[in-house]
Amino acid sequence: MAEKKKTTKEILREKLPERTAPSLYNPAALEGLCQEFEQWRSTMVGEEDRKNWCVTPHTILGSEIPREMLYTPLSNPDFDYMQDLGHSGQEPFTRGIHANMYRGREFTMRQLTGFGGPEETNQRIKFMLAHGGTGINVLFDLPTIQMYDSDDPMSRGQVGMSGVAVDSVEDMDLIFKDIPLDRVTVSLVTHYPSNTAILFPMYLVLAERRGIPWNKLRGSVQNDITLEEVVRSGPEYIPPKDCFRIQCDNIEFIRQNVPLWNFVTYNGYNLREFGTSGVTEMAVALANAIGTLEEMLRRGHEVDWIAERLAFFWSPASDFFEEVARIRAVRRLWYKIMKYRFDTQSPRSMWMRCHVQTSGVSLMREEPLNNIIRAAYHALACVLGGVQSLHVDSYDEAYSVPTEEAALLSLRTQQIIQAETGVTEVVDPLGGSFYVEALTNEIEMRILDEVDEIERIGGYVTALEKGWLHKKIAEYFNNERKMIEKGVIKLVGYNFYKAPVELPPINVFRYPEGVEEKQKARLGKLREKRDIEKVNSALLALEEACKKGENVMPYTLQCARVGCSEGEIFKVFKQAFGLWKPPVFW
Amino acid sequence: MAAQIKVLLSKLGLDVHNRGLITVANELRDAGMEVIYIGNSFPKEIIKTAIQEDVDVVGVSSLGGAHLTLGGELIEMAKKEGLKERLALVIGGVFPPADGTKLKEIGFDGIFMPGATREEIVTSIRQIVSVKMDRPP
Repeated sequence: MAEKKKTTKEILREKLPERTAPSLYNPAALEGLCQEFEQWRSTMVGEEDRKNWCVTPHTILGSEIPREMLYTPLSNPDFDYMQDLGHSGQEPFTRGIHANMYRGREFTMRQLTGFGGPEETNQRIKFMLAHGGTGINVLFDLPTIQMYDSDDPMSRGQVGMSGVAVDSVEDMDLIFKDIPLDRVTVSLVTHYPSNTAILFPMYLVLAERRGIPWNKLRGSVQNDITLEEVVRSGPEYIPPKDCFRIQCDNIEFIRQNVPLWNFVTYNGYNLREFGTSGVTEMAVALANAIGTLEEMLRRGHEVDWIAERLAFFWSPASDFFEEVARIRAVRRLWYKIMKYRFDTQSPRSMWMRCHVQTSGVSLMREEPLNNIIRAAYHALACVLGGVQSLHVDSYDEAYSVPTEEAALLSLRTQQIIQAETGVTEVVDPLGGSFYVEALTNEIEMRILDEVDEIERIGGYVTALEKGWLHKKIAEYFNNERKMIEKGVIKLVGYNFYKAPVELPPINVFRYPEGVEEKQKARLGKLREKRDIEKVNSALLALEEACKKGENVMPYTLQCARVGCSEGEIFKVFKQAFGLWKPPVFW
Repeated sequence: MAAQIKVLLSKLGLDVHNRGLITVANELRDAGMEVIYIGNSFPKEIIKTAIQEDVDVVGVSSLGGAHLTLGGELIEMAKKEGLKERLALVIGGVFPPADGTKLKEIGFDGIFMPGATREEIVTSIRQIVSVKMDRPP
């Protein structure tokens, strides 16, 4: 009988070096401190506070970890500076992946853009860049995300909403009009493996047309099975194992052919926003990353070849210190996994690089200007945690896509943190805080415990198939809703300090009109002028590749080149893999 | 005792934001209603299912911007099938404030914006059903 596969937690327990180095604290001093502390507690702390020494903050998307009233060296007595923290840019990277962090490279200000047709989105991108945005982040409309063409009956009434409409390379061309692809970094928010396999090739073909070699392209895609099979709500799904395979095909092809591109962004963000704690958000992303690396090893690749370009995406919510601690905790845990579970020697492979977006579900419709404050705190926590890039949500997003004014305010929020507060001058400014270090330890332990839970089910894809995550989410958000309704989670202006009179309305974004017609016309023209034989043979070749288990991306690329539309390509996936019915728990 | 209210819930069109509607599904069930949750669907199928299942209420959710286009289509479809008068049609989601009024004008009986509480939703649905179907609440 085959030996039972060890979980990551078991491997770490075996391989992590023992804590032999002396603690930073002198044992005799700690003992003295312990007596001091007990005396202080019995004389200075009232009975009520002694009784309620640990209190659990109840916050939106919070982890419900109890907190003591005061943290001291006694909270973390065997604290070992070099082993637990190290200097910045040094193992275990708790303090940051670079020695000089934001002094060396400012965080990238990457605001999401995407609404209406490609022309409107192109204008908004230029507006954000003209005001100091340093990265592009393109969001696609609902039909594009769900892989239906603008002229599909399923798309009617939804074209250009919640993002930009893309049917073919022609639309990609218009989105990036006058934008030098070799001189910007572009995040294409292709949430799913399937739409990454379809849309990213369109971007590559655009570069080809403009004579820009692929090795000059920089940016990222999301390409995450969690988004396609769990977070999504859609009419048609392909099965998890096929979806995971496409995720891995995309990674493999992009790594081979577009060397500076980040081929996967493990998206904890949308999962947490859907309804999980910050611990589950990170555990799921790590389990998916571990699964991906295992699959890549099985396909015969070197671990560093993949690991050096992995990226993560987190959602910071309102529990300020928890958010700072979380980012530090997961950075240290990732280092341990890479070094001891995958035996890498390359520091780059041990770096957890991450993008964050401030929490959207934390924004309230009531008194929307309060959201500006919420998002600013979320963003500040991330910067104190040492993230690589940021998007700040706009205060009007409980009403619609942000107006230009609101989008600018989000960018300004980042610029004020960067230029006016001085927080970027010192690396990991909260490192060494008795509280933050204790919380960092606690969260790291909890994340690893949940990774272990997933691995014991049989790995991430199996956990998905069994509905483990679907169920966990439903439980979480139903419980959270109850806590909000009971006022246990306090939301200012909603269930706490509710305003007695209604405040004046804010300006709200209106979608441009006529986008659907324009998209249909452009797609119609493409369908007329393209060589239908080439289209059909490209689609046929793709179907063969799907069935034979070949990497799909060379084939979707050929489809993009000869003018296939997104919907036509998705149809091939559906035919080749069949459909899956995801579990719904409620 | 009042008859159990039967509710059909659907995400409207391709909208991917499903947390809100699943929450509502739970709350209506906990309030004693019979709930049929069909995930993403389009007006034609929604109305067809409403007829087959003989429901009292159709609730749709849209956070992606299609509330007026597909929402309008749903109302038209209900009218065509002669259901408008014997079916409560409600919608929830993210809309600009002015659109709340428009949705009412085109014929939705109940509009729920972000922040609507469990009690508001449950009470309002019971009330609409009692008025529209002349049933005791």
